[in-house]
Amino acid sequence: MDSGQSNIGNATSVANYLSLYLGQDQGVRLGESVVVSRKAHARMPAKKIKGQIEILINCDAGKTYLDCMDIDQIVHIDVYHLPGEIDPRVVARAIFWAMEEYFVNEDPQLQYADDVRFEFLSGYAEKIQITTNLGKGLIYDLFQNELKPYTVGEEGHDHVHILARLNRDEYALVYIIAATVEEVILKSGLQLARVRNISHGKQKKMEDDFAKYIKLPWKKFKGQTASFMSPEENVNQLVLKLAEKFGGIEEIEEWMQCYSSNIFKRKGAEYQKKKWGDVDHYVKQLEELDLIQKTPLGRILTKKGLVLQEYVIKHKCELETEIRRNIRKVPGGGSTRFRKFGKSKQKTTHVEFVDYNKTINKGDTTWTGNLAVSQTVIQAVKNGFLRGDEHFSIKKEDLHFYGKKSYIPIDICLLMDASGSMAGEKRQAACYLAQHLLLTGKERVAVVTFQEHSARVVSPFTRSQSVLSKGLATINPGGLTPMASGIMMALDLIKKSRVHNPLLIMITDGIPNAPLWTLDAKGDALAAVANLPAQKIRFICIGVESNAIYMEKLSKSGEGALYLVDDLNKENLINLVRYEKKGIIKE
Amino acid sequence: MLPYAKLERYEGNEALFELVMMSIVSTYDGEPLHIHAEGLRGTGKTTIMRAARDILPTIKRITGCIYNCDPADPHCPHHRNLSAQEIVDLGVEEIPMPFLEISHSAKVGTVAGSIDLAKLTDGRNPEARLLPGIIPQAHRGIIFIDEINRLADTAPEITDILLDVMGTKPGHLQIEEAGLPVVHIKVAVSVWAASNPDEEPGPLEEIRRQLSDRFDMVCYMGRPTSEVVLANILKENSHNTKIHTNNSSNNPGDYEKQHERYTQILLRWAERYNQADLPDFLRNYMARLYVKHNLESIRAIEAMQQGAVLYSTIKDRDQASINDVIHMLPLILKHRLDSDTLIRVINDVDVKSGKESMFSFVNKKPNKPDIAEETEYFKNSGRPLKELKRQELINTEKSLDFQVD
Repeated sequence: MDSGQSNIGNATSVANYLSLYLGQDQGVRLGESVVVSRKAHARMPAKKIKGQIEILINCDAGKTYLDCMDIDQIVHIDVYHLPGEIDPRVVARAIFWAMEEYFVNEDPQLQYADDVRFEFLSGYAEKIQITTNLGKGLIYDLFQNELKPYTVGEEGHDHVHILARLNRDEYALVYIIAATVEEVILKSGLQLARVRNISHGKQKKMEDDFAKYIKLPWKKFKGQTASFMSPEENVNQLVLKLAEKFGGIEEIEEWMQCYSSNIFKRKGAEYQKKKWGDVDHYVKQLEELDLIQKTPLGRILTKKGLVLQEYVIKHKCELETEIRRNIRKVPGGGSTRFRKFGKSKQKTTHVEFVDYNKTINKGDTTWTGNLAVSQTVIQAVKNGFLRGDEHFSIKKEDLHFYGKKSYIPIDICLLMDASGSMAGEKRQAACYLAQHLLLTGKERVAVVTFQEHSARVVSPFTRSQSVLSKGLATINPGGLTPMASGIMMALDLIKKSRVHNPLLIMITDGIPNAPLWTLDAKGDALAAVANLPAQKIRFICIGVESNAIYMEKLSKSGEGALYLVDDLNKENLINLVRYEKKGIIKE
Repeated sequence: MLPYAKLERYEGNEALFELVMMSIVSTYDGEPLHIHAEGLRGTGKTTIMRAARDILPTIKRITGCIYNCDPADPHCPHHRNLSAQEIVDLGVEEIPMPFLEISHSAKVGTVAGSIDLAKLTDGRNPEARLLPGIIPQAHRGIIFIDEINRLADTAPEITDILLDVMGTKPGHLQIEEAGLPVVHIKVAVSVWAASNPDEEPGPLEEIRRQLSDRFDMVCYMGRPTSEVVLANILKENSHNTKIHTNNSSNNPGDYEKQHERYTQILLRWAERYNQADLPDFLRNYMARLYVKHNLESIRAIEAMQQGAVLYSTIKDRDQASINDVIHMLPLILKHRLDSDTLIRVINDVDVKSGKESMFSFVNKKPNKPDIAEETEYFKNSGRPLKELKRQELINTEKSLDFQVD
């Protein structure tokens, strides 16, 4: 009974801590080999030090594993063990009896009420699901030897994966369950694995296995109904998927060229990686779709692949429209985490024009405005009728004026760091931002990049999407970070073009390391930025946390704002710029 | 403008022709079907929709009723309280099914209704009366709106009215005018719209999501790809053809005959649609789609039901089948779902059948993780909970950071 008492003591104390930490959306390590949270857990294979578990704070356990609608319903308990097999049925039974012991200890009355106790327990047995590398199921089912098979790749290969639907006041059970599972593991002759550390992070978007569900028309259909499907829809979607990754039709074409049988057009993996980031996943998907095949001379497009290539070229017009449509979409969620420092103090100028669709009756306030004659006459007739006028007359109350619309045009110049570190995803994200801004706004967009030892105007201020996308396609990151040259080039471009409320957005993940005037790259950039306020250029800087100190200095010197994000991805960039634009319009 | 019968049909615009037919059939039976044609500029969206005016059937209304009151079911403020005999006394007339347009200079007054100026300024007997706008006048007919994305952007007030009118079937309209009592009327109007998502201000669903959802079906126009088709289109539009059609008196008559034939077919379909129903298993199937793919708007599955029955009707089939549903799916869902979900829904339908699913595991290649790296992930063994002191039980990310291995 002694161990039982301390068990309950531990369980309550654990429960208190759990309700505190889980309530803050955190996870904890319970003991040395158990991780508890209400989120999904993942390994961190990218890290050099093994044995860490990441708690994915953006993945609710219930939603991820059980398709629950509500969040925070499910407690996720992982008990890690060193390689070996664990029978879930044994685990289930052990948990069942341990729970019984716990409840009887808590409330000795239950000893004598068999049916109440059993009902109580089976209630819990239906709320707890166990997965090990030998199978899975609810405790209730496992108890009766009903076992669902374990599929490779699922949770549970190196741990006992338990999902329990528990309320806050039931968290004491977590300790009971964890301790019992550990006992079972040890009894099975296995060792517990020590979780070295836990960390909280967000799940990066899983790469979509589109090969699984996209069916190409030239793939043989077996289903009865297949022939009635619109096959082009699938091809279109496939191309759109590729466009999401590569940016545009031209870039898809260029990428497909890399797999043509003409050796002179092929470009190596290095080049691809620089431009588009990691393409392996896409190559694999296309292989699965039978569009690319391995040959002794490397991967080349299959016949079907060539058909696709031709399709892309032939339907460029429609596909580009669809791509633009996707770029216009505002990313959902908007859960961007960022830190903002400073604020730009430049004044904005409005553009006002008459709105001929809308007339307003100003009442008695004023006589001035753009008179809407027909509306005024109509109103005078109506009011005259109501007033009982003998003759037609226009009174002050009848006057109607055309409304006014005003908006703040903000011409945006994107200053993109195109140094080596920006290669891949970050480059794609910045290019996407440029296109999104052009397609969703009414203003002009320009792009300037800096790399190696100089800067370059990729696209001048334009409203034309083709000019912009052609320019963007030429960006190949690599080399040093000559920030000062970039800033001067952008400044020059803005000065030369007639722009409204210019907004200079600098996107960089590094700090300058190639100077312009002196030998001090950082100092030069600070000096260059200091020219911006005099030209009435709003300056915002989007950077990453690791360079916070320097970036802060830089934005201060340019009298601008600084946004720091954890990752330079599409959603973050778009959300930030939208936030900034909203701020400008509010002023 | 080219007569309906003369329009060139090809793969890319076939869907729009079908939708136009379906909408007319449905409208004739009193159930609106809102359709929206999207596509590149110059692909003939507007042409086809406007030309459909040629084949519209006629409807019966109480003589002179500007609200197009159905003699069997009068709804307007003037006639709704009359007895059957009084309506018979008023008489019945046949008019072509209304086909009106909302243009970009439209105002709330012209669209919904305003005070009747002619009556008001009548020298002898001035009277304040309501003049119904385009929407109530198009009752039991069709309203066409070109460039609806721009209208939604520049005239939010009119968009709000449309939301009300298209929100339910039949829709609802409230007319307010200073000095007159508020009038509520029900309107059964099919709204047809055309837009180019690629031009300012962008696709409708980004401008007014609700309005985009109100459209039962969206048709994406394709460009003609065959040279023969293009050559034919050119020929129809050449000055030569135009002059000769205008001069010779025979040709127009031919078209009218053809249009008359179309109208007869439409009437036959309308009669059949009136009786048709969807089999229960298809209804369950749609319900499952809704639940499984987390569709948001129930309008989507309602449109599926209406669309499937209508499609089977215009294809001269006795009963709607699963193929009719599948055919309608992209038209119904493309503007409501993101492309990933759409493609999953579409491809979902054929997976289930027969052998393929049985043998599908053969083709499955699970991503086998690298076992060597796997097993080495945890290096040290851990102590069980029971051996730990109470203060060692709970560790957070921070407290673990301080521990050195």
